[in-house]
This record gives sequence, structure tokens and C-alpha cells, in this order.
Amino acid sequence: MITLLLLPAFIMFLISFSKNDKSKYLLAFTSFVILLPIIKLFLLPKPYAIIGNYLVADKLDTYVLLVSSIVGIGVTLALLTLDKHVKVSPKAYRKFYRFFAIFWIGLIFSILSNHMGIYWIGLELATLATVYMIKTNYTPAAHKEAWNYMIVGAIAVSLILFGIILMYASAKPILGEDAMSFDLLLKHAKEIPSPFLFEMGFAITTIGMFVKMGFFPMNLWLANIERASFYPVAALFSGILESAVIVGFFRFSKIAMEVNYDHVFIFIFVYTILTIFIVSFLIFRAKDFMRLFSLSGVEHMALIAMFWVSGAPFAALLHFGAHAFLKPALFLSTGVLESNGKYRIAGALKGYKGKRGTLFWFLVSLFLLAIISLPPSPMFFSELYGFGAMISTAKQGNHILAMIGAILFLLILLSIIFYRFVAIYQSMKYEGEEKEKKVYNSELFGLVIFAFSLMALLFPATITYLKSIV
Amino acid sequence: MVDFYIGLFLASLIVALFTTRLYRLLFWYALNSLMLGVLALTIGKNIDDNAMMITGVITIVVKAIAIPYILKNLSQKFQFVRRITPEIQVQYAIMLVPAILVFTFYLSEPIVTMIHTNANYVAISISSLFLSLLLMMEHKNVAPKIIGFLSMENSLFLLGITATDGMPMLVELGIFFDLLMAIVVINLLFHKEELKI
Repeated sequence: MITLLLLPAFIMFLISFSKNDKSKYLLAFTSFVILLPIIKLFLLPKPYAIIGNYLVADKLDTYVLLVSSIVGIGVTLALLTLDKHVKVSPKAYRKFYRFFAIFWIGLIFSILSNHMGIYWIGLELATLATVYMIKTNYTPAAHKEAWNYMIVGAIAVSLILFGIILMYASAKPILGEDAMSFDLLLKHAKEIPSPFLFEMGFAITTIGMFVKMGFFPMNLWLANIERASFYPVAALFSGILESAVIVGFFRFSKIAMEVNYDHVFIFIFVYTILTIFIVSFLIFRAKDFMRLFSLSGVEHMALIAMFWVSGAPFAALLHFGAHAFLKPALFLSTGVLESNGKYRIAGALKGYKGKRGTLFWFLVSLFLLAIISLPPSPMFFSELYGFGAMISTAKQGNHILAMIGAILFLLILLSIIFYRFVAIYQSMKYEGEEKEKKVYNSELFGLVIFAFSLMALLFPATITYLKSIV
Repeated sequence: MVDFYIGLFLASLIVALFTTRLYRLLFWYALNSLMLGVLALTIGKNIDDNAMMITGVITIVVKAIAIPYILKNLSQKFQFVRRITPEIQVQYAIMLVPAILVFTFYLSEPIVTMIHTNANYVAISISSLFLSLLLMMEHKNVAPKIIGFLSMENSLFLLGITATDGMPMLVELGIFFDLLMAIVVINLLFHKEELKI
């Protein structure tokens, strides 16, 4: 199975060295092939041991992998017409795919790992690969941001390793070298001889993960990087890399919640509320699409983490799926919207004529309104479930008033974001000059895939599957 | 003997903080890595752990010899600025370093009561982590920041050796692989490519 999973990425890596003009299409095709072994894995009975106890596919990671591969296909489709919107050299294009292949290998190991060490190795590999993807845009800003990403990303990943070592040290006396396995740690969480050490390790790992996702106090670093890089890179960041990080958070927090639920809940709850508080005002001031969507991504990741620890894992997973499809779709749309001049929000949705144009602006409008959780967006339902579960958890813990206060505060912050998005949408649709703009088939096809995937999240079968993960 | 090596590990990192020349910084990094490798060999021998001894040898070959050599070559190829003045003045840095050391010993006090073997070494590895971060922060040039990142990796490795009596071999090899990948990416980042369509 592992050969099947890694083979498309290896083929992509090899093809990326070819200087033939047609290799661009072959690379895109290889990216499509990635989906096939993942579908096969998805259909196999779970848990399925891929390599002993090191790589084990369970329902959670196959779901994350499936979502990520669909995002990968959408991004590849948009890449076919990248040169129509931005200046990109064929060499940079090939290099992008070379590092995309490495990124994918790292990601497969990271998402499927049942081992803290392998998870970290995969994540580090994926992070390093993205550094060079940023640099495929040959501008001084991208060059600077690639270095920024290298340094801040390295610090974040080091913090994650630091925490992993402490967690491993805390459980080694009872589990020996098996203290690296997520499933064994979960099983023996109550027996860990030094819970304080484990909790400290968890807190440090979580901070590393949160820094990587742009949480407080590193709210703007990811936005600046996504602004400087090509839009498919931003889509990969939000749709795939963050998925690998959040799947790690799910696994670590599950164990930490077994060790001491109250500590985890308070720590994550306060951290995520603080992040949303800062981000909502940053969104209010955002003046370009990339930063707007990037900051909105931070807000959604914070909500996912909050729902996960508040006793609403189903809501977290639904929100995660919706975010993973919506955010790359919006980043790819940004590439098209900005191709006729950067930073112009007013009138951005005007001038798209014909069937393709109409479908494009309709889809972008749909995505924009879905990201602010307007029904029937999956985000609307996930937030509904999430807030409901938070109240239920609070009832059991006798802190219902504090929770209602926190939810009200959260709703005020979310309404600020809502207001900004609606204002921007109105400006895009009803203000500014109308100039004729073009949209290409491949990128439109990518957006249609995202729209269908988003709808698929609300199918009863999907909801049953997500509930079964929990 | 372990105390002596760990002392030299910390001392080489502290000296690196005050260095104003790039090649000397590379030398201190190499010494820091050498001490780490020797520590892994010594502790591995003491607890009869072959995997840790192999890791120690790899550390010496990769981190104490190969990486400083590659970085020196890169600095010549891309003509790095060799004068690297820290942004934090010496008189302040000289107060900051002991403050960090005292703070980390205080911070790690609850932990050291839980880890019975090499308890104080855990505190030293945490302080090394902070000092590496300081090294990254106090320079504007990219090269010292890279050394800071590599030193941070050394500190984590030290924590792995001391707090857990060695991580599983698979993880340590994976970390080495990622480190080499980081060096490849750093090399590529130095290339300033022009847009040719």
C-alpha cells in the first residue's frame, strides 16, 4: 500500500526534471493519480496497518488524506493556467512540482503516522518543501518571505519536537520505546507516571502548532507569506499543510484530554478566543484578498481547535472539511480576480461575461458567503453543532454562565468578520469600474470540484462517516 | 566526564553568542556539535546503547564536519558578509545569558524532580534552546540565523539524549535526514534567480 501511495509523488518528482513543454500536462495528470490509492485506502476496513504500528490508517487520517488529495487536484488544475495570470518561468514551474512531490511524501507520512516521531519527520519534510515553493515566485518579496518562513517555520517545528521529547520522556518509564505511539499513549494515558511533564510537552507542542497555523501572537506572518507567494502555494498552505498540522493537534489533544481534560480545555479555549479576538480586528482592517482569506483561515482553524476540545469533535471535523475546500477555492479565485491588477477589491467580480464568466462569479460569491457561515454552508451547521456542544459540556461542568458569556463574546467577534466580508462582497459586485476579464476552463473546473466536494460534506453518508470517526 | 562535555557544549554556545566573525561562528558551532556527538557516545557507552553510539558518530560526521564545511563553501560561493555584529550590545548580552541560565534552571525545577537520570542536563538543554533563539534574534544577517536554527536542533538533540536516554533510532535518523534536506533548501534559497520567460 505504501508503494502505491508514494509512487505518484516519486513519478512526479522524476518528471519534474524533464524540460519538455508537454511535461506540464503529465505532471498535472500524475497529481490526479494520487487520488486513486487514497480512495482504495478509504475503502479498506479500519484501522489498516500500512507499516506495522508505525503507519496506521484509521478513519480520521483517511478522511484528512482524501480531503487533501482533492485539494491537491484543484490546485493542480489552477496551476495549468498560472502563467496566464502571473509571470512564471517554465523552470520555476518544474521546481514547484519537484517540491510539491516532496511535500506530498512528507504529508502522507505525517497524516498516516501512528508515531509521534514519524509525524514530526513528515511535517518537517513538508515544511521544508513549502519553503522552496514560496521562492518559485522570483520577486524580492517572495525571497524575503521564503527566508521568514524557513526561520519561523523551523522555530515552530522545533517547538513541536521539544514537546514530543517531553511527552515521550513522561511515558517512557511505562511504555519504553512504544511511548512514541499515539494509540498506546491514548490507551495508557491515565497511567503516565508524570502527568505534569506530559502536559508541559503538550502545551509546548501545541504552541508550535499554533505558531505554524498563524495563531496569537504570530497572526500576520502566514498572511505576509501567502501574499508574497503564488496563489496556488497559498492554497496548498491553507488546504493541505494546515490539515497535517491540525491532524497532529487532534491526536495529541486526545491523549492530553485523557490525562487532564480541564487543563487542556482552559488552555485551548483561552488561546483560541484570544486569537479570534486579534484576528477579527485584523480582518476588519484587511485591504487585499490574500490577507483577508489568510486571516480568515486562522479564525477557522481556531474555531476547529475550540470545537475539538469543547466536546464537539463532529463539528470540528465538519468545519475542518469545509475550511479545507473553501479556503483553497478562494485563494485560487484570488489569482483570477487579481490577474487584472492587484489589491482592487471594488469591482473585482464585475466584467466576467459569457457562461464561464457567469459561473465563475457565481461560484466566487457562493464561496465568499459560505466562508462566513451563511446557510446552507457546512460551516453554518458545524458552528451550530459546535456552539450547542459547548453549552452541553458547560452544563456538565457547572460553568454554564461563563460559557454563555464566552459564546456571546465570540459571536460579537464573528459578526465583525461577517460585516467585513459582506462589505467586501458588495464592493466587489456593485462598486468600481467594469472591465472585461477572462477565466479559463481548468481553473473553473477546479472551482467546480471544490463546490461539489463542499456539497458532498452535507450528504447523509458523509455526516454518518464523520460521526463514526468521533 | 559527561559533566565536562556538557559544560563545553554550553560554553561553545555562549561564546558563539558573542562572536563577530562568521568563520569563527562556524567553528563554535562545529565544536558544539562535536561535544554533542561525544556526549552521545559517552552516555551510549555508559548505558550500553548501541543506537545512541551510532547516532553519536553520525552527529560528529554530519554536524561537526559536513555541515560547517558546506556552510563555509556556501559563504564563499555566495559571498556572505563575514562581519556579523550582534544587534544586542555585549554589556547587555553578558547580563542576559546568566539570566537565561538561572531562569531555565528555575523553570525546569518541577521537571528535574520527575526525571531521575541526568536531571540537570535537561535544564541545560532547555537553556541551550533559549540561547539558540537568542542567537537567531540578535543577528540581522541570514548566516547566523541559520547557525541559530542548527544550534536549536542540537539543543533538542541534547534534550532527547538526556531526558529520554535516547530517542528511537528511526526518529533520530529521520531528524538527520530532515537536517540534510534543510541544508539543501538553504542552499537553494541563496540562489537569486532572475525571471526568464
